[in-house]
Amino acid sequence: MNDTLKSLRFTLLAVVAALFVSAFIIVITDIEALGNGDFGKALSTLGTAYWGLFKGSFGSLRAISNTITGATPLLLAGLAVSSAFKAGLFNIGATGQMLAGAITGLWVGFAFQLPPLLHVPLALVASAVGGAAFGAIPGILKARTGAHEVITTIMLNGIASFTVLWLLKTELFKREGRDDAISKFVEDSAKLPKLFWFMGKRIDLLAHTGFVVALLATFVFWWLLRKTTLGFEMQATGLNQEAARYAGMRTKSLMVVSMAIAGSFAGLAGGTEVMGLYGYASATVAGDIGFDAIAVALLGRSTPIGTLVSALLFGALQAGGRQMQVDTDVPIDLIIVLRALIVMFIAAPLLVKAMFRVKGEVKSFGQTFRGWGG
Amino acid sequence: MKFELRGITKRFPGVVANDGVNLHVSTGEVLALIGENGAGKSTLMNVLYGLYRADEGELLIDGKPSHFSSPADAIAAGIGMVHQHFMLVPVMTVAENVVLGVEPTGRFGSLDIDEARRMVREVSDKYSLELDPDAVIEDLSVGVRQRVEIVKVLMRDAKIVVFDEPTAVLTPSEILEFFEIVRSLVAAGRGVIFITHKLKEALSVADRINVLRRGKVVGEALPKNTSESQIAEMMVGRAVQLVVDKTEAVPRESMLDVRNVTVVEPDGRVVVDDVTFEVRVGEIVGVAGVQGNGQTELVEAIAGLRRAASGSIVLGGRDITTDSPRERHEAGMAHIPEDRQRQGLVTDLSIVENLVLTRYHDSEFSSGIRMKWDVAKTRAKELVAAYDIRTTDPAQPASTLSGGNQQKVIVARELSREIRLAVAAQPTRGIDVGSIEYVHAQIVKERDAGRAVLVVSTELDEVMSLADRVLVMYRGRIVADVDPKKVSHMDIGLYMAGSRPSGAVA
Amino acid sequence: MLARINKRVRHPSYEREKHTMRKQRGLKSAALAIAAFALIASACGSDDAAEEVTEDTEAATEETTAPLPGAGVLACMVTDTGGVDDKGFNQISYAGMQKAEAELGVTIDLLESASDADYAPNLQSFADKGCNITVTVGFLLGDATKAAAEANTGLNYAIVDYAYDPPVANARGLVFATDQPSFMAGYLSAAMSKSGIVGTYGGVNIPPVTAFMEGFRKGVEYYNAQKGASVKLLGWDGTDGTFAGNFESLDDGKNIAKSQADEGADIIFPVAGPVGLGSAQFALESAGKVKIIGVDVDMSVSNPDAAEVYIASVLKNIDAAVFAAISDVVSGSGVTDNYVGTLANGGVGVAFTAVPADLQAEVEAIGAGIADGSIKL
Repeated sequence: MNDTLKSLRFTLLAVVAALFVSAFIIVITDIEALGNGDFGKALSTLGTAYWGLFKGSFGSLRAISNTITGATPLLLAGLAVSSAFKAGLFNIGATGQMLAGAITGLWVGFAFQLPPLLHVPLALVASAVGGAAFGAIPGILKARTGAHEVITTIMLNGIASFTVLWLLKTELFKREGRDDAISKFVEDSAKLPKLFWFMGKRIDLLAHTGFVVALLATFVFWWLLRKTTLGFEMQATGLNQEAARYAGMRTKSLMVVSMAIAGSFAGLAGGTEVMGLYGYASATVAGDIGFDAIAVALLGRSTPIGTLVSALLFGALQAGGRQMQVDTDVPIDLIIVLRALIVMFIAAPLLVKAMFRVKGEVKSFGQTFRGWGG
Repeated sequence: MKFELRGITKRFPGVVANDGVNLHVSTGEVLALIGENGAGKSTLMNVLYGLYRADEGELLIDGKPSHFSSPADAIAAGIGMVHQHFMLVPVMTVAENVVLGVEPTGRFGSLDIDEARRMVREVSDKYSLELDPDAVIEDLSVGVRQRVEIVKVLMRDAKIVVFDEPTAVLTPSEILEFFEIVRSLVAAGRGVIFITHKLKEALSVADRINVLRRGKVVGEALPKNTSESQIAEMMVGRAVQLVVDKTEAVPRESMLDVRNVTVVEPDGRVVVDDVTFEVRVGEIVGVAGVQGNGQTELVEAIAGLRRAASGSIVLGGRDITTDSPRERHEAGMAHIPEDRQRQGLVTDLSIVENLVLTRYHDSEFSSGIRMKWDVAKTRAKELVAAYDIRTTDPAQPASTLSGGNQQKVIVARELSREIRLAVAAQPTRGIDVGSIEYVHAQIVKERDAGRAVLVVSTELDEVMSLADRVLVMYRGRIVADVDPKKVSHMDIGLYMAGSRPSGAVA
Repeated sequence: MLARINKRVRHPSYEREKHTMRKQRGLKSAALAIAAFALIASACGSDDAAEEVTEDTEAATEETTAPLPGAGVLACMVTDTGGVDDKGFNQISYAGMQKAEAELGVTIDLLESASDADYAPNLQSFADKGCNITVTVGFLLGDATKAAAEANTGLNYAIVDYAYDPPVANARGLVFATDQPSFMAGYLSAAMSKSGIVGTYGGVNIPPVTAFMEGFRKGVEYYNAQKGASVKLLGWDGTDGTFAGNFESLDDGKNIAKSQADEGADIIFPVAGPVGLGSAQFALESAGKVKIIGVDVDMSVSNPDAAEVYIASVLKNIDAAVFAAISDVVSGSGVTDNYVGTLANGGVGVAFTAVPADLQAEVEAIGAGIADGSIKL
């Protein structure tokens, strides 16, 4: 069995293990049923919950649309974390970069009157550039002063969210008639077309062509890593900075470039949310996506295809979790627990090994975290 | 006590690491276990220390079959191990480290550090280890740290002490001190297993030598009636050339001109002090010296990894003092770095990728931003064949190669193009006899092909046999420039130690 | 072990503890995380853990009595990302839902949102279910609620803390003139301050927060004008002031209260959700030197551990507004217009906890004056 297959199987086992533990949690927290000694009902709750999880993620066109909608920003932000990981940098700043991209994309989206064929690409470029510029800051700080990117990106997240909060209340961004922190709508010409436009006017199909943007970005990431000198330099630097320096690579510029590339992915995540899903920006437009993206990248082992698959998985859990909440009494918080469990099982390969009696060596994830070395 | 391994076989998927190994050691003797990298030495040690479980065979202590399922069992049976990589907590003192895990406790379970100090002093005195129990580990030299590890093992009352490549990290003088310690251990009635790949060391300290090749013990020798080349032949499986085979150098014009170069550390220490020398086309200049006398920094300054505080470096008439590593590379400098794992290779990348690590930007391997991986793969196949790199697939990570083959990857990458100057730092450190022979031959070949070669090595033998001219570095300065054929090892050794042989002129 | 945890989690988090199908939810969310740890720790759980839980569980099912007017009406609620147990407007809104269930006999349902992306799908789920009225909480749901209302003209919507301009035919905004009761509280604080200095601060500088602070400021000024006093206000000058920057950190609440107390304030009005609990904690430790004005709900009831530090609370009766909206749907009168909670209609108010009777009467008179328009803010 080759390595890719092995790690895929292992990831799958981690997901199964997490579902297994979550099942226990669903049953033992069904206090009402257990109070009556009604184990049957608790088990049927479990069945309904997991059926809802599936139904809500893949069971219908709407479910698939919801899965894709959730996966789109996770994929782009996940790429922001993965690409930085590849260059040996731990990008905790996807949230801030998303916000930067959301704001620049938003501005181009409402400030210009252009035909859609021009307006959409221009706004996308603007969000990528916004994210890249914001992402480059921790890169520059690290190259110039050695400040660790984990610290600076976390701090910059705070700066970004308060800057956005302030911007959203300025005359430029503020929506007329609203005095809370919510922006104008982007022009219709800057809105990303719906993914399922051919299904007619179904407002429940939220998926938008931001997903196509995300897929293209995934391809670009793959191409960068596999086919370009820059990608080669990023990987060499990420794996062994000393050797990269010896090989004549300009490791400091690479830090900046890598963070800018990462930021541009995250910026697109923010931009596509604004232009595809909401049509406007609020201070919470980035939500927890920037942090979930770390888990996405970890689960996907920072590879392009892995990031894609894990973003889809997380998108499916998000969409399925909603349906689970509709069908049962199980709160949506369970999805957070479930995701945490998956990440935990991935991070603790020996546990899964023991549970499933997997033979042979399981590669640890140490390499992914090498960014911590500074 | 007599400790014996009988018919030990350990298999890993696709490899038989140990194949029916028999060996024995008794208290009061030193057994050297010698073999090339990958011969199965480490696996064998892990088996006898309880880290691996043998698939076949048995362990006998005083003739009684025993079974170790963890290092704790091995320790309880009187086996101690000093690993190549020390397991010490840098911020703690010697006494604290030594008792870590077996802390002597006073009343109420508090740590009795005075007792720990006393124990350290006692062991230290008995074997003249000269350890200060209150010294903090991070302030100690590598050699002293190793002695702390030895004390750890002795305090756990080991009858048999296993040393895994103990000299790899030591300076020549520390090696001599280490041998003294080994002898005093044996004199005090303990047994020693000494794992190494260095012939000289095995011959000078061991009572018996067991040679391991491809997982098997292929021979046992007694140092008094064996020669280096006999053991080398057993290790490699064929006759090995231990002396470098080369003709008289025919030096021509100057290629590398280092003038008054000074390198200063950020903390103000002068590590290279006003160094001037030249390397001519067609000669090999060797730089000898004890590790830490500025050789590393000198090479880094020449290669562009470190900026010279003053002075100039000229390559083939072009001033490269302020050039970047890449510009120097393009100007025809090849650099085989001192530490292949940390600098020379990205071990997690494939052999193909490592073979273009310094060359990916050449138009041969890329156009614009696009990498030509097809070309790189084809080229890698050629180089793997031409430089005898032992691998099944160049797409494998470089980490799958043995140390010698990793070094061949670097040599292949650096020397397989049109160069004018080759700078090789510690070119054979930690690699096996067969590979050493090969690397030396390649370096001589470069010289004969009309290149200038600078070799920096802490192995005096290597410098003496390889170089046409030897420079000795001491405290950042070049203290001697001699013809190796006209001076003795002893004299060079004196220069290295900072003194001057009698009769020599400044 | 789990049984013990349950006891701890089992704090009565809703004021109106009625047995409903959703009752256990708050408990459950918290229990989830703990259970997850417990399970891992004990390496995949044991049967007796599950059984222990049963000891601690009450098993009561309430008999449905006579048919109520709301039977057959489905009232639903979508929270914002705070979740239903946020000790804030989601929770208070839900209390209104529970009241409607108990008193009107409607069936209620709830969906929580984990992120902004959940709003539209959750509203869609309730539209599919045919919820006669869907209550959404917070301005972040403003656009999604409007879109849902326009797509489902046969259904009714109400949104807490948000108003539509122009109005949407089947969506009612529920907003509150919080400056009115805050004005009363400002007057009250100025009257009760011994040091002549009172303080206020907000969570984040946004209008829903500063409305309270501005009302409070005007109340202090009004007192000064009426009585010729010169009580000073810290933390808000009419345009800018002190903000914690969040609605979560109890430490921030403690620190801000401490610094205002250091400047001499002896009565503080925190408009910052749970941050204010930190200030209450500080007041508790000050041993009576500092008193607190509660916000949104009667905090002497909702925060019993520090009940004695509250002299009064500014009430924003979201639950009453939610109840009224549901009641309007039950009665068939619809939810066309936005609702503004005022002192006049009881949508806002002041709860007096430890105020001398004559002062209470004086403040109540001011309230009446605001309600009838004789006192202008």
